[in-house]
Amino acid sequence: MSEQALGVQYATPGQEREAVTLGMWAFLATEVLFFGALIAAYFNYRMWFGGEFIAAARMTKVVLGTINTGVLLTSSACMAMAVSSYEAGSRRSPVLWLGATALLGVAFVVIKGIEYSLEYREHLVPALNFDLARHGGVAEIFFMFYFCATGFHALHLLIGIGLVTWLAIWIGTGRIDRTGSTTRLIGLYWHFVDIVWIFLFPLIYLAGRNG
Amino acid sequence: MSARTIWRCWGALMVLLALTTASAFLPLGTANLFISLGIAVTKALLVLFIFMELRASNALVRVFAAAGFFWLLIMIALTSADYTHRTDQRVPVDEVP
Amino acid sequence: MHAPHRESYLSAGIGLRSWLLTTDHKRIALLYFASITFFFSIGGIAATLIRLELITPQGDLGSPDFYNRLFTMHGVIMVWFFLIPSIPTTMGNFVIPLMIGARDLAFPRLNLLSWYLYIAGGLITVTALLLGGVDTGWTFYEPYSTFYATGYVILTIFGIFVAGFSSILTGLNFIVTVHKLRGPGMTWYRLPVFVWSTYATSLILVLATPVLAMTLLMLLAERVLHVGIFSPQLGGDPLLFQHMFWFYSHPAVYIMILPSMGVISEIVPCFARKSLFGYEFVVWCSIAIAAIGFLVWGHHMFVAGQSLYASLAFSFLSYLVAVPSAIKVFNWTATLHEGWIRFDAPMLYAFGFIGLFTIGGLTGLFLAALPIDVHVTDTYFVVAHFHYIMVGGAVMGYFAGLHYWWPKITGRYYPEYWARFAAILAFFGFNLTFFPQFILGYLGMPRRYQSYPPEFQIWHVLSSAGASILAVGYALPLFYLLWSILKGNRAPANPWGATGLEWSTRSPPPPENFPATPTVVRGPYQYDRGKPCMQAGHV
Repeated sequence: MSEQALGVQYATPGQEREAVTLGMWAFLATEVLFFGALIAAYFNYRMWFGGEFIAAARMTKVVLGTINTGVLLTSSACMAMAVSSYEAGSRRSPVLWLGATALLGVAFVVIKGIEYSLEYREHLVPALNFDLARHGGVAEIFFMFYFCATGFHALHLLIGIGLVTWLAIWIGTGRIDRTGSTTRLIGLYWHFVDIVWIFLFPLIYLAGRNG
Repeated sequence: MSARTIWRCWGALMVLLALTTASAFLPLGTANLFISLGIAVTKALLVLFIFMELRASNALVRVFAAAGFFWLLIMIALTSADYTHRTDQRVPVDEVP
Repeated sequence: MHAPHRESYLSAGIGLRSWLLTTDHKRIALLYFASITFFFSIGGIAATLIRLELITPQGDLGSPDFYNRLFTMHGVIMVWFFLIPSIPTTMGNFVIPLMIGARDLAFPRLNLLSWYLYIAGGLITVTALLLGGVDTGWTFYEPYSTFYATGYVILTIFGIFVAGFSSILTGLNFIVTVHKLRGPGMTWYRLPVFVWSTYATSLILVLATPVLAMTLLMLLAERVLHVGIFSPQLGGDPLLFQHMFWFYSHPAVYIMILPSMGVISEIVPCFARKSLFGYEFVVWCSIAIAAIGFLVWGHHMFVAGQSLYASLAFSFLSYLVAVPSAIKVFNWTATLHEGWIRFDAPMLYAFGFIGLFTIGGLTGLFLAALPIDVHVTDTYFVVAHFHYIMVGGAVMGYFAGLHYWWPKITGRYYPEYWARFAAILAFFGFNLTFFPQFILGYLGMPRRYQSYPPEFQIWHVLSSAGASILAVGYALPLFYLLWSILKGNRAPANPWGATGLEWSTRSPPPPENFPATPTVVRGPYQYDRGKPCMQAGHV
C-alpha cells in the first residue's frame, strides 16, 4: 500500500482514495461470506439437530466470553479514536490509541487461550480428547464449529494486531504518508473482526442458556 | 467522528452487551435467539455506521457493505428450505467411531 | 500503417524480471495466457486418456482406480485452472482497461499477486495429481473424500484453496476498476457488454469463492483431524457439505460462461456490421444471470436426499435462470437479422457458441425438471449437458475472443484460412464427441465408469472419434498462432473495423495504453448498418 506517488491509473488522489475504500469494502464482503459460510452451516445444524446442538453450547464459558466481547468492543472504540486523531493531524495520540487497541486485542487472545485450556481440561476438544461417550456426536460437531469459528477469528485478530502494531510504529516514526488511506483501511479491518465476533458471541455462548 | 461520538457509541455497545447476555438467561423459548440476533445486528449497525463511518459514506460504499450480508442471508434462507422440511429420521448414533 | 519499431508494451522492458515483476495489465494477461494454455493441455491429456479408455467396454488403460483419478484430474484442472480464470484473466485483464479508457486496473500489484497465487495453486495441485492424484471426482463429496479416499486429497484441495484467492482478488480488481476508472464520457450505458459481463462475473468471483474457501477448509479439517462435521458416524449430514460446495460451484459455472457471452456480444455486432439488438436487455440479463445463478445450486442435489420442498424451490428457480440466457440468444440472433455478415474465424466460433450454448442450455431445462433429472442424473446426459455449455459454449467463446483480439494483443494477423478450418473442425469434432453422450445418458450409461455394458459401445466409439477430431481442432491454433507471432503480417490498429476504445490505439498498444486519455461521446456498437468492413486484406 505505497502512497508515495499517485498510481499511473489514477487521475487524482481523491479517485485513488475512493478506489481503495471500495476495494477494502469488497474485501470485507468476501470475509463476510467466508465466516458466513461457517455461520450458515451452524444455523442449518441448529435447525436440524435442535436441542442436542443447543445443549452443547451450554458448556462454553459465558462469563469469559462476555468479558472478551467487552474487550473487543472497547478495542474498536480505541481504534476509532486512533483513526480520528490521526486524521485530525496528531502524531502521538494515534500511536497511543493504536497501542491500546493492540493491547486489548492481545488481552482477547489471552482470555481465549484460557478458555481453550479450560475446554481441554474438560475433554471438549475434538480430535484431541473429546469425550464422545459422555457428550455425544452432536456435541462434538458443535465444538468443531466452536473451535473452527473462534480459531479463524483469532487468526484474523492476530493479523489485525500485527497490522495495528506496524501502523503504530510507522506513524510514531513519521514514516507514514499522510495523504494515504492506510490508517483508515486498517481501522475498517479491525472493526470488521469485531463485527464477526459480535455475531459469533450469541450463537456460541448464549444458545441454550434459557433452560 | 468526534471523541464524544465514539465513546457514546461504546457506551451503547456496552449496554447492548449487558442486555444480550442477561436476556439469554430468561426463559423465553425461541424468542431468545431472535432477541440475541436482533441485538447483535444493532451492535453491528452501530459499528458499521459510526466506527466504520458508513453514515458519512456515499451510497455505493453502503451497497458494497451490505452486499456480503445480503448474500449470506440468501444462503441461510435457501439452505433452511431444506433443513426445515426434512422428513427423514436421523439414525441415533451411540457408538464411538 | 504504424512503424513497427515504436514502443509497445511488448518491447518496453526486456528480460525475465520485467515480465515476472510487471504490473502492466497487458503483460500480466500474457502471463496468464501462457499458464492457462499449459493447464488446458494437462486437462486435455487427461481427457484424451479417458476417451481412449472408453472406446472398449472393458477397462484397458489401467485399473478402475486409475480411471477415477484420471477423471478427477480432468475435472479439477479444467474447472479451477482453466475455465474459471480463462477469459477474465487473459482477455479481461488485457482489454478491460482499454475498453474503458483507463491506463491500468485499479490495483496493478494485486493483479500480479493474483497471477502468482494462481501459479502457486496450480503447481501444488498438479504436483498432487502427478504424485498419484485423488479418486473422489472434482466434487470431493463427503464422507468419501475425508474418511475413505486414499490419495493426495489434502494437497489437491490446498492447491485449489490457494488458487481461490487469485479468483477473489481478480474479481475485486475488476469491480473497483469498472466503478472508479472509467474515462471521461464513459458512462455505464456506454460500456461494451464485455465490460458488463466481466463485472457480473466479478460479482460472482467475489461473493461465491469465499464460501468455497471455507468449505474446503472444513473438508481439510475433517480429513486431517479425523473429526466429522459432515459425517454420519457422528450424526453429521453429508448433504451440508454438498449445500456449501454447490453454493459456490453453481455460480462458478456462470463465472465460466458469462465472460464468453460478453465476447460473443462484441463479435456478433462487429461481424454483422450492426448495432447490438437490445443493449440494455443484454446488459441487465448478464447481471440477472449472476444474481439468479446464486439461487439454483440445489439442482445438483435432487437425488441426494434434500427435502422435496427444497427440490421444488430449486427446480423452479433453475427454470427462471434460463430466461435471461435465452433473452441474450434472441438478442444476438436479432442482431444478425439484416446484418452484413462476415465469416471470419471469430464469427465462426461465435456461431458455434450460439448454437451449442442453446443446446446445452435447453438440456439444462431438461435436468431442471425433477422427474427427468431422477432418470438421467449421474449419467452421461449430465456430462453432455455441461460439456455443451463449457466446451461448446465457454471454450468456443475463448477461442472466438482469442482470434478477435489477437491482432490487438500481438500486432499480427493470424492465418485466416487455417483459423476458419480449425473452427469448423472443432465444431464438427465437438458435436461428434458430445451428442452421442446425450443418447448414452438417456439410455442409462452412468458417468465416472471405466467399464460398461457392450450395448453402449457404439456411442462411445463415435464419441471418441469425435474427440480425436476435436483435439486436432484445438491443437491447430497452437501451431498457427505461434507462427503468427513469429511470421504473421503486421496488423493495424483496427483490422476488423470494430468500434470500441481498444481499437483506437495501436496494435500492440503502447505501455500507457493511450497517447492521450480518450473522451467518449457515443454509445458502443455504432456500426454502419449494411456497409462491409473497411479493412479487408489480411492473410
